[in-house]
Amino acid sequence: MQYTSESVEALVEQFTKLPTIGKKTARRLANYVLKMPQEEVETIASALRSVKEDVQRCSTCYVVADQDPCPICSSDKRDASTICVVEESSDLIAIEQTNEYRGVYHVLGGVISPLDGVGPDDLRVHELAARIDPSFEDTAADAAPAPETMPDGEADDDADPSENGQVQEGETAAPVDEVILAVNPNVEGDTTAYYITQLLEPFDVRVTRIARGLPIGGDLEYADEATLSRALEGRGHVD
Amino acid sequence: MILHTLRLRSFRAHAESEFDLAPSVNLLYGPNGAGKTNVLEAVHYLCLTKSFTASRDRYAVRTDAPYFEVEGRVGQVRKEPMTVKLAYVPGEGKSVFVNGAELDRLADLVGLLPVVVFSPEDHDLTAGGPSERRRFVNNILSQARSVYMETLMKYRRARRQRNEVLRSYKKRSAPPPDALLAPWTEKLVGLGSRIVHRRQQFLQAFADDLEEAYRRIDAVAERPTIEYDTIADLAPDATPDDIEDAFRAALDRKQGQERDRGTTLAGPQRDELIFRLDDLEVRRYGSQGQHRTFAMALKLAQYFYLQRRNDTEPLLLLDDAFGKLDAERTGVFLDLLRSDAVGQSLVTATRRGPFEPALDAEPASHRALQVQPGDGAAVVAPDPEYAGGDATASNGVASASGGPDATAPTSRS
Repeated sequence: MQYTSESVEALVEQFTKLPTIGKKTARRLANYVLKMPQEEVETIASALRSVKEDVQRCSTCYVVADQDPCPICSSDKRDASTICVVEESSDLIAIEQTNEYRGVYHVLGGVISPLDGVGPDDLRVHELAARIDPSFEDTAADAAPAPETMPDGEADDDADPSENGQVQEGETAAPVDEVILAVNPNVEGDTTAYYITQLLEPFDVRVTRIARGLPIGGDLEYADEATLSRALEGRGHVD
Repeated sequence: MILHTLRLRSFRAHAESEFDLAPSVNLLYGPNGAGKTNVLEAVHYLCLTKSFTASRDRYAVRTDAPYFEVEGRVGQVRKEPMTVKLAYVPGEGKSVFVNGAELDRLADLVGLLPVVVFSPEDHDLTAGGPSERRRFVNNILSQARSVYMETLMKYRRARRQRNEVLRSYKKRSAPPPDALLAPWTEKLVGLGSRIVHRRQQFLQAFADDLEEAYRRIDAVAERPTIEYDTIADLAPDATPDDIEDAFRAALDRKQGQERDRGTTLAGPQRDELIFRLDDLEVRRYGSQGQHRTFAMALKLAQYFYLQRRNDTEPLLLLDDAFGKLDAERTGVFLDLLRSDAVGQSLVTATRRGPFEPALDAEPASHRALQVQPGDGAAVVAPDPEYAGGDATASNGVASASGGPDATAPTSRS
């Protein structure tokens, strides 16, 4: 028996597809939308559409941006010799807001998680290796047929000096000195960090990982045991 | 740590039950199926966010109710009393509130109110499979150290991920490439070794508690011991690094088998504890009585360990634990409950009779609660004779309880 309108039900169902939205919240949202002025609903609808239509990914760091290359990769104020590796574009925004980091980024697009069907090949790890060494070839021992790798020559062609400021892989690009792994400190993040460390081992590049432990302003007394033991594990020299 | 009041809403047989508890022995008595064990389960939810039976959360919700809620007021030593509440909504999960503020993680509640349960299922500790014994150790260590539980959960996650790699390549009939398997092996070894190290340290400290507990229950001078059978023969003082090496070597040896079976074949998930009385292996050769005493001693030792480690007296939940005990052991246990060695306890029984000596001893600190199957829902009512501080006539009625059904309060007030 159907007491409400079918379109409202359809909207509720669409809302429940979003993360953290349950049936109840979806219903509340749908009822709210029902009461909103027509123009506002149109604005939301077009914002939703344009996020898929207009937004693209930077072909260097794979961040979600309106232009390719993204403003960070094309800025000559950024230090292209340091790459900060993050899981998602949202992590990049979090780091950018600190105003502390002057290097460039690399967005992996997730973490290795076999249970979710995500292997290294589903992430942009080989693209990362190619940024460090353009001659890098996909030698992952995966039994699946390796995708066509980019021939060396092509990478050289791309590094056209006329494309001002664009950091591109190639002989002329600044060599990468350091890769900072800013992945989440959970089982999958740790494993992805390990995988990348192994992958980059042959290259002359320093691989580091952001520190984990006590939050700023947090009192030792109130830190939970797990956080404290992690902080002890990752202790550093006194500055 | 004392539970002063308890409130159950839509929890199993209870629609809405609220009652006060005494600081020492609390006897819940009533006929079978009335909802006595439900009260202990509710307390267990407040302590460990789950039941001590294998039952799923959604079965704990009363039929046709949208959710269940359990709330307790907890008095602490030298601290303000706090209110702990756990709510479960099917489909949405559990949430925990301490003094009204929601905890970020359910796991943060574990260890706050340490608890030890004695139940008829304890028989499985000595007679059942190895997983029962691992669960026992995990329960104690999780309550004693929050970091242990976190490590354990991470380890399980890493193992599931690694198994998925092994399984998917088994399906393709190809060996998993090292580049894919090695990172998970590394994570597994790191986390698993920490678990083994903790268990090893724990069992060393626990040995004394077990001896002490056994002595209290049984006059016979047998010496109880626990042998820890893990990934490899490890020296008692093996460092985490030694354990990592042993774990890695064990996985290395099993490489071929893991490929064939598509699953992880070494690690703390295969640990076993071997219980002995002098030279006798309890699981294989123990008598019924020895099984019962050993299981009881394990739980009592758990109590002593947590008490020392958490610097507070754990709650003791006894679910029909006296059902199968002989008179002598029941007596020993009752003495223990009344003694200073144990703090607050909640005990279920079908009859009040055997407990009357315990309740009589110090009426202010003990209480009897009658649990009856009411009209569609359980009814918990203080027994006027044993209602804690305001106990009326407490002498001269001890012999009044006859058969197992002599539970109705009828003419006694």
